[in-house]
Amino acid sequence: MTCREFEQRATSLTLWELSQAQDQQILGHAGGCQKCAAWLQQQRMLAATMQTLQARTAGCAAGPDVERVLLRAFRQGPSELVRPEMAQRFIPIAMRLSRFFEVGAYVAVGAAIAVGLFLGVRLLERRSVNLPVNSQSAQPSASSPSVAAETKPQQQLPTVSRSSVNRLRPRHVLSASQSLPDTAEPSQTSTDSDYVALMFCDPLSCSSDAQVVRMELPTPGMTGSGGEPDAQRGIADVVVGYDGVVRAVRIVN
Amino acid sequence: MLTDLTDEQLLAQALAGDEDSFTALYRRRQGPVFRFALHMSGSWLIAEEVTQDVFMVLIQRGRDFDPSRAALGAYLFGVARNYVRRALERNYAETALSSPVDDEAQSLMVNSDPGEGIARQQASTAVWKAVLSLPEHYREVVVLCDLQELSYADAAEALGCALGTIRSRLHRAHDMLSRKLQHSAAAAPGIASVTARCLS
Repeated sequence: MTCREFEQRATSLTLWELSQAQDQQILGHAGGCQKCAAWLQQQRMLAATMQTLQARTAGCAAGPDVERVLLRAFRQGPSELVRPEMAQRFIPIAMRLSRFFEVGAYVAVGAAIAVGLFLGVRLLERRSVNLPVNSQSAQPSASSPSVAAETKPQQQLPTVSRSSVNRLRPRHVLSASQSLPDTAEPSQTSTDSDYVALMFCDPLSCSSDAQVVRMELPTPGMTGSGGEPDAQRGIADVVVGYDGVVRAVRIVN
Repeated sequence: MLTDLTDEQLLAQALAGDEDSFTALYRRRQGPVFRFALHMSGSWLIAEEVTQDVFMVLIQRGRDFDPSRAALGAYLFGVARNYVRRALERNYAETALSSPVDDEAQSLMVNSDPGEGIARQQASTAVWKAVLSLPEHYREVVVLCDLQELSYADAAEALGCALGTIRSRLHRAHDMLSRKLQHSAAAAPGIASVTARCLS
């Protein structure tokens, strides 16, 4: 037996087994190897001292107070200590209730997220609508005086944004606007030339979402040739949304 | 008879509400749990507290115990180990480690031979101090395998580690203990004489 084998064999034994030293192979090797014999002796001494500690604490146990407290707790019967048949009856109900509340919580969280997204989108929309109106209000001063004279009706209007008018694009309005010289904003693109400025009027009716405005529509005869306005004047009811976007147009005459 | 029943059977009956079964199980298992906590902490107070906590866990969460995974004894040692660790980390750490074996623990030790009382007490106190000065994972295996005389397999179950880990930790712990005891023997020759008498 080599020293390595001795060590492997010795570590597989408990301290008590080692101290009794009944294993002939271990004893044989220790008899011939001084180092392993010293180690074995050390283990035997350790086992002996451990035995004194073990013997001295052998009778130690928890006091009667501990048992009393535990028995009181046992008698009080925590929820786990219900009878099995009772447990089987009540646990499924509790499980079902907890699942119901769990699903309810998930639904509530989902609804909150959806509402948050909806409000966020609405807020963004409102901002995107307000920005062009503000920028537009500064622009008329940039136009030349001659152009300003030509586009007089247009300047009176414009709480309704051009982009919003463009979204609606009623067919007859577009045809009228095509003949308009788009001189108010020379820098605008060709698509902006489709816009027709609408006059500001008091609303006929209001609601939280929209208001209906009756207004005169510029027509080709009126704007282009300068003919009699009354003869060619078009009256329309325009539904303007809370965000300034025209929702619908109804031609009255 | 309740004494003929296994731990697992007693636990099952206790969980069904049988108080006698619980009492029998407590009286059978509280000693080892208490001594484990006492050897680990060196404090009588901690040992009692841990014993109470361990059996309280058994009352409240005894249904979580799975007999197929470990024996009830090993399970209780595992729970006790966690509570000892918490207690030492908590408020007792300073008092327990500054005076490793408290007065109450020493006074309640069994003294079988009054003639050798003092020398033996010195020797056992020296061993205990050496055990308490070991790092926790070495102390656990020494207490379980050497003082509680658990098999390596049961100790591995209680500590939740491999058999080889227990062996190697124990081997290392024995070396450390031997060195510590040699130092204390050099400081107090009485310990060495008691050890020699034990061996003879």
